[in-house]
Amino acid sequence: MPTKDEVFEKVQEALVEALGVDDDEVTPDATLVGDLGAESIDFLDIVFRLEKAFDIKIPRGELFPEDVWTNAEYVQDGKVTEAGLEELRRRMPFANLDEFAKNPVVQEFGNLLTVADMCRFVEGKVEVAD
Amino acid sequence: MQLDGKIALVTGGSRGIGRACVVELARRGADVTFVYHSNSEAAESLVAELTSQGLKVQAEQADVRDGTRAQQIVDAIVEKHDRIDILVNSAGIVSDGLLGSMLPDQWASVIDTNLTGAFNYCRAVTQQMMYQRSGSVVNLSSTAAEFASRGQVNYAASKGGINGMTKGMAKELAPRKVRVNAVAPGMIETDMSAAVRNLAGDQIKKAIPMKRIGKPEEIATVVAFLAGDEATYMTGQVLLVDGGLSLGTY
Repeated sequence: MPTKDEVFEKVQEALVEALGVDDDEVTPDATLVGDLGAESIDFLDIVFRLEKAFDIKIPRGELFPEDVWTNAEYVQDGKVTEAGLEELRRRMPFANLDEFAKNPVVQEFGNLLTVADMCRFVEGKVEVAD
Repeated sequence: MQLDGKIALVTGGSRGIGRACVVELARRGADVTFVYHSNSEAAESLVAELTSQGLKVQAEQADVRDGTRAQQIVDAIVEKHDRIDILVNSAGIVSDGLLGSMLPDQWASVIDTNLTGAFNYCRAVTQQMMYQRSGSVVNLSSTAAEFASRGQVNYAASKGGINGMTKGMAKELAPRKVRVNAVAPGMIETDMSAAVRNLAGDQIKKAIPMKRIGKPEEIATVVAFLAGDEATYMTGQVLLVDGGLSLGTY
């Protein structure tokens, strides 16, 4: 059973390998897209590395629910609707969406996920020791 | 040998161009798993022939239209070898007919096998190859993608789709050091082209500047070149291997 520190170390390692960044860039507050330069295809790579590192299965779309962006009920005029925000909160309990909700422009969403969010996501999938 | 130690997967491997690819890759040193659909006798015979020469070859029965089975086969290879280096998508069928009388099932079976089948296997290897930061995919296209024949709109569409998929996939995966290319054969001596060759007779040879039908082995050597480390700066390309057919007759 990994500790929270061990979860962070493995997430950090996965991000270093997937994104070609340095260890010290992968801080809990770093955003995946803005700070670490992740592109959409990198999420596929990150998910695969997390699956291997923690011996878990992550169904496609669970970490980053891309189907929300193509649903007309959830996105209108480039912004996420109230229903869309509700859906994102339901599917991404590991992410803090409060700041994004103030001006929910779709293009800004990728810049929201942080390394700490990734750790919380993993902690929701594995048992973590205190 | 050029492909020593490489782990390869070939679809449509029991006959035709796919079979020649299995032989070529294995002879160059790769450990080859090939997928066949229905001809278990041909598959077993190929495995026996090559293993008796000390080459590493295994066969798996599968319908390439089944994406779940594709993932199972790739996962089993990765479980055994901890990697997969080469994918050759060669499984393909024809079901010819003029558009006005082509049945929807004829359209669907060709698109599902030739295009979706290749997609299924491309998708199945993508994460592992990205993870490895290495890999080479070769999709079998056809000159029919560009120079479509009457009675083959389904086949031409499937191969045009292969070209588009090859280029899109190449662009996505190039930064992850995975290369994706296609080989577009012209008229080749296979069971699949037998009907056309029988119908057209010598006329078809006259249209080919080299005045002869190609052999499956002449496609397989180009596939092996693209699959291996001699082509490390090539991606997103469709190589025409057609005896000059695409140059036109004049």
